[in-house]
Amino acid sequence: MSANTKVTPRENVWRDLPRNLWSSIFRHPLPSSELGQAQTSFTNFFLHIHPVKVNRHTLKATYTFGLGLISLFLFIALTVSGVLLMFYYVPSTTQAYDRMLDLRGSVAFGTFLRNMHRWGAHAMVAAVFLHMCRVFLTGSYKKPREFNWVLGVVLFLLTMFSSFTGYLLPWDQLAFWAITVGTAIAGYAPFVGDKIKFLMLGDTQVGQEALLRFYVLHVVVLPMVMTLMIALHFWRIRKDGGLSRPPEADIAPGTEAMSVQVIASPAPKQSFGLMGIVRGPFTKVGNVPENTVSAWPHLLMAELLVFVLTIAVLLVVSLLFHAPLEEPVNVMHPPNPAKAPWYFLGLQELVSYSAFWGGVGIPGIEVLLLILAPYLERKPGGTGRWFAKERLLPNTLFVTFAVVNIILIIIGTLFRGPNWEFVLPW
Amino acid sequence: MSHPTPTAPAETGERRHFLAWVSSFALAGSAIISALANFVFLKPRATYGAPSRFSIGRPDAFPSGARIAIEQRRICVAREGNQVAVISTTCTHLGCIIGVADTGFACPCHGSRYDQDGNVTAGPAPSPLPWYQVKLAPNGDLEVDTNIQIKPGTYLNI
Repeated sequence: MSANTKVTPRENVWRDLPRNLWSSIFRHPLPSSELGQAQTSFTNFFLHIHPVKVNRHTLKATYTFGLGLISLFLFIALTVSGVLLMFYYVPSTTQAYDRMLDLRGSVAFGTFLRNMHRWGAHAMVAAVFLHMCRVFLTGSYKKPREFNWVLGVVLFLLTMFSSFTGYLLPWDQLAFWAITVGTAIAGYAPFVGDKIKFLMLGDTQVGQEALLRFYVLHVVVLPMVMTLMIALHFWRIRKDGGLSRPPEADIAPGTEAMSVQVIASPAPKQSFGLMGIVRGPFTKVGNVPENTVSAWPHLLMAELLVFVLTIAVLLVVSLLFHAPLEEPVNVMHPPNPAKAPWYFLGLQELVSYSAFWGGVGIPGIEVLLLILAPYLERKPGGTGRWFAKERLLPNTLFVTFAVVNIILIIIGTLFRGPNWEFVLPW
Repeated sequence: MSHPTPTAPAETGERRHFLAWVSSFALAGSAIISALANFVFLKPRATYGAPSRFSIGRPDAFPSGARIAIEQRRICVAREGNQVAVISTTCTHLGCIIGVADTGFACPCHGSRYDQDGNVTAGPAPSPLPWYQVKLAPNGDLEVDTNIQIKPGTYLNI
């Protein structure tokens, strides 16, 4: 070593340790320039799901109401509270109910966590449904977002199935009879109904096998499938050009609309540069003024706000209202009336008129119509606006379906008493 | 030894296309069969719950004219003189346990009512109550098999 080589003084190692450690984890300081803001999306694993720039229209609260984000944050809250509850839960018909009492009596925060999980699950079913309404009523599923809508419908069904499988786990009267009734509805499917029911319950009746099966589905299978589907759902939002918006939202205010002609160059034969692969609405050509802002901080702050609000409401509700826990399962004494979970009470109401049509026919047609909707409504236009005039017919049909389902759920929940006879809730 | 004449390009393409098609078919087929195998695995060969074939004791335990419900087994034993029959007490509507009433059966969940033979008389139940096979076992006990449904109205003569 030559004498004039600079040796870092020993004490600097320690003095600089915190800074070195920090800068090895976070590649850039908090952004102070546009470049820095862009780098957050590029270099941070947790932020790289964001685009660098986001259209102003996407951040309008009255456009999305943050319903997709609320669904995601509820999913995360449910995962966390669910994993914590798993530490004390045993999926056994002899122990499950006692564990519920233990949560109440001897586990720190036990009641609170159970409340969070219960209300979060109900809220998630509602949030995902409302999110679906938003996407439909703003015409957001139109080309090129058809398949992401299909993924969304699948996520909606998975959400309901997750909630349904969780319903059995407390092993109280409410759980037992709701699942007895719910799986009986599934049993009305033609040809395969009984087989599906047997496969789901692992037996002819709800018992230990059903509890174990529902538990495995609820804590492993469904969350894993949902996580994958959510990742796909988000990936496609980016690849489909961000959230849907009307064409005029792409033009910055105060600038004149100018048409940009993109001349397609012949596709390269051998290798692809980035611009050879990139296509669609996120290709920026020339120096067109954009109506965008940086994702950092604008999108992040919006997300943080939705997160804080969602969690705050969930915490307050969980502090104020306790999750129901009825008497332990008594196979001999069904409650009168025995009711499925509320989101299936519309179906149960229909089942009381016609078993096949209520349990299988109508819900089957509804799901099929939902999945096919973007492939049936091919007329462009009306995307990115609530209740667009051009989409009067599809919107009217959708609202009618939604309202009828909601009314059936309300009737089944509030207006049905013993023997499923009509009662007034007041 | 001379090399074989190279095949014409079109022919090679066709063969490759054929091979690709066959192997894709085989792979996809294996994947589908493996996926279906999961359902075979998930369908229990033996259930751990209540057995479907069981003894309900001597015929003498059921006096003539009595309709005795065995709730644990979800059945009702009906005896008329020398004749015995076993009727399911699982409601055909949504699977609740129904009770024996004066006029037949009544479901406490959603108000379905059945007559003495299990025919629906009121409520949302879509089908009559099934009758199960009952036999006299060699030891003189009545043996019921809830896996075997028989024609309603068929009694066992004892």
